[in-house]
Amino acid sequence: MNLRQASLLGWGLLIVGLALAALGTCVGSAGLENLWRPLLDAGADPAERDMAWQIVTEIRLPRTLGAWAAGGLLGLAGALAQGLFRNPLADPYLLGSASGASLGVAIALAAVGGGAGMVGGSMMNGASFSMLSGSLWVRLGLTGAAFAGAVLAVMLTLALARGVGHTLRLLLAGVIVGVVLGALTSLVLLFSPESLQAMQAFMLGTTGFIGWTAWGLMFGCWCLCALVAWTLARVLDGLSLGEATAQTLGLPLAPLRAALVGTLALATGTAVAQTGLIAFVGLAAPHLVRAVVKVPHRQLMWLASLMGGVLLASADLLARWVIAPQELPVGVVTAVLGGGYLLWLMHRRSSGLHAGGLL
Amino acid sequence: MKRLLSLLLCCSAMLASALTLPDDRGRPVNLPKSPQRIVSILPSLTEMVCQLDQCHRLVGVDRYSTWPASVNKLARVGGGLDPNIEAIVALRPDLVLAGTSSRAAERLVALGIPVLALEPKTHADVQRVLGKIGQVLEVQDAQKIWRQIDAGVSAAAQSLSPSVRQVRVYFEVNRGPYGAGEGSFIGETLARLGAKNILPASLGPFPKLNPEYIVRANPDLIMIGERNAEGLLQRPGWQNIRAVREGRVCIFPVAESDVLVRPGPRMADGARLMARCLAEKAPGAGKSEDPKGKHAGGKA
Amino acid sequence: MSAPAYVVRGLGASLGGSPILHGIDLELRAAAWTSIVGPNGAGKSTLLRAIAGLLPCSGRVELLGRELHDWPRQERARALSWLGQNQVAADDLTVYDVAMLGRLPHQGWLAPASRADQVAVERALRQTQAWDWRERALGELSGGERQRVLLARALAVEAQVLLMDEPLANLDPPHQADWLLLVRELVAAGRSVVSVLHEISIALHADELVVMRQGRIAHHGACNEVAPQRALEQVFEHRIAIHALAGQWVALPVTSIT
Repeated sequence: MNLRQASLLGWGLLIVGLALAALGTCVGSAGLENLWRPLLDAGADPAERDMAWQIVTEIRLPRTLGAWAAGGLLGLAGALAQGLFRNPLADPYLLGSASGASLGVAIALAAVGGGAGMVGGSMMNGASFSMLSGSLWVRLGLTGAAFAGAVLAVMLTLALARGVGHTLRLLLAGVIVGVVLGALTSLVLLFSPESLQAMQAFMLGTTGFIGWTAWGLMFGCWCLCALVAWTLARVLDGLSLGEATAQTLGLPLAPLRAALVGTLALATGTAVAQTGLIAFVGLAAPHLVRAVVKVPHRQLMWLASLMGGVLLASADLLARWVIAPQELPVGVVTAVLGGGYLLWLMHRRSSGLHAGGLL
Repeated sequence: MKRLLSLLLCCSAMLASALTLPDDRGRPVNLPKSPQRIVSILPSLTEMVCQLDQCHRLVGVDRYSTWPASVNKLARVGGGLDPNIEAIVALRPDLVLAGTSSRAAERLVALGIPVLALEPKTHADVQRVLGKIGQVLEVQDAQKIWRQIDAGVSAAAQSLSPSVRQVRVYFEVNRGPYGAGEGSFIGETLARLGAKNILPASLGPFPKLNPEYIVRANPDLIMIGERNAEGLLQRPGWQNIRAVREGRVCIFPVAESDVLVRPGPRMADGARLMARCLAEKAPGAGKSEDPKGKHAGGKA
Repeated sequence: MSAPAYVVRGLGASLGGSPILHGIDLELRAAAWTSIVGPNGAGKSTLLRAIAGLLPCSGRVELLGRELHDWPRQERARALSWLGQNQVAADDLTVYDVAMLGRLPHQGWLAPASRADQVAVERALRQTQAWDWRERALGELSGGERQRVLLARALAVEAQVLLMDEPLANLDPPHQADWLLLVRELVAAGRSVVSVLHEISIALHADELVVMRQGRIAHHGACNEVAPQRALEQVFEHRIAIHALAGQWVALPVTSIT
């Protein structure tokens, strides 16, 4: 019965996602604006037709699909993180990947700027930043820097926790790395204040620069992570019985945790590199799914992906529409949407019936 | 008797040079005499003081004030948003020049140091702030500096051939993307140079845009700083913009972009940089008479 | 006599730096129920975890004739079933799914449940009277119902040796009696059961008694003999007295001062 409900939810989310994708091709810098009319109208001016085609296929479509893919990655990562840490408050950034990506971007922005805010002489040695200008960070570009930062941060977490032996230690190490790298990011920005506005744009998230290549990367990454998650779904269920029980059931815990951590790093690194830091989707998507239907991990991962995709795609649409041609940062809209919905659910539950469960 | 008279004269002289004027926060600032030891924690204000030939009165600046070169020898007191109060107080200033968003103001005033908070954002602001600083420093005819700036901008405008006017320009200030609208000082300079801004004033001075808007607006010329130029040409759909297709993108090196984004006495230099860009890259260019070649703009 | 279920020689274990078990030598009979008893802090749970392979320990532990670490992981999981104290965070899984997790040692991760798996799970759920609510989520159950489901999960492994740490938590007396009957059935079928219980009266139903004090074995013998009972009273500093009542042994606290 639960499975039937689950498949209904899954198909529902898929249909909503497709509808949002279609709507996304109609929302742009002039708000809601149907560009399909000039495309479908045979008598329209060919220059106008060309422009409409370009706008829809090169800008709006990859952007909307990119939001869907990024949301899918974050939702999947959220489900995996909550399974790995056996904690419903876990989100995919817990291993420090968000702070690592921020630090990578901050260093890249500062390096390109040649450290103009630094004075050769009395403060730090101005040469240190100019040395970075010609270097790896600039060639990687911002997305590369963000991805590299995320992955390096997770590796640092693993090193600090001395491997994947103990989940609590991993969690603690992740939190520490997050805080320390966040502080380092602030330090870098202090010496390069021209980057502050660009950094803020990254921190609050945007899908504005997603083209087909970026979408391809994200979709490919999602396929890989979904495969790993599907293989490990049963194992995650076993892990939820407790670590001692999971061990006696013959589950190889250390390689499992390593695979999960690796997948989390890949998924969040890819999403953050392309769209910036989008909060709340990873945390909220599995909860929103569980609020509707209770399923084991094998179904949860698909549903959390779809839910995350729908959440981010709708937030992106709103962000583009509300104050067109200006844009709201997507991360703010996801927090408002996801958080508001969860609050409403909690209110409904507490004034209602359910005894068990989180909400 | 003579002593009493000279004392009276001294007092009246002191009273005569006592000054009370409101700063940009609206608070009155009381200066008993013209300040001789000044600390400035906003780069544009540092530049203005030096432009008025009063550089010798500066005893300390923030870490971001880098022009003119002589201020690099002064003591550094932190940044505008995170000033080192102790370092400022240790310099025994009789005036601190700060931006309106600085948190140091209240602390310093409580410690008995007068703080003049000024933040120029538009051309009109620059003129007004120059006047205030001139008044405080008792410089005759501070407006001469403004006239020089104004003349510099006009000269830059006149150096452009008429065919270069009416060019539709997009100036990107930062990733986001944040553009410079008509209402910002950059927009004002562009307007004086005769160029048209694709961002109307209704969007505000520095709006955060949907990149699609820029593609639709199809500017003839794009101006951007080197810091933000990475990935510009690869942005989805941007290869269709006329400016990108025809290679009309001016990427200003870091030193030049600093001049462009600072509303201060070097605005004339900024205008010259923009004019050079227009002369070189606008459609219909090649008929201009700009003899300056590749050099960055010099002092006013 | 058949081979013992467990042979332990010189077992030592520490938790967080302080040593808990000191030089334990033990032989646990196969096809029998052994109860480990002792005061709080005696090291009972630690001993159980050590022989389950959950703790690093010094000395030698042989399960069914083979050194514990020589067993391949999956095979050992099929031979040994563990029911620990409640650490479960699986509120969303249905009762049936939880019990089916007990079949993990017999299944590949991707393979669907085989007929044998389904039969085993059904039998386990019926044995704990949990079959009727197999579609309900674990989070909706009361403490006692949950414990029965977890017990079913341990039974579904169909292992030769069952190790249970406080299996009666939250169970009311009728269900405690059901558990006793269940263990009797398992032993009659040839399985070995080792339990740690703090309900001494129930523990006294076992075949063998292992009495522990301060990380060492104080006594090991058949339950209905006098020596182990006296040893038990002694480790509790004579604050309990063991009496025969209605054909059973019961341990009653000593309240009067004599």
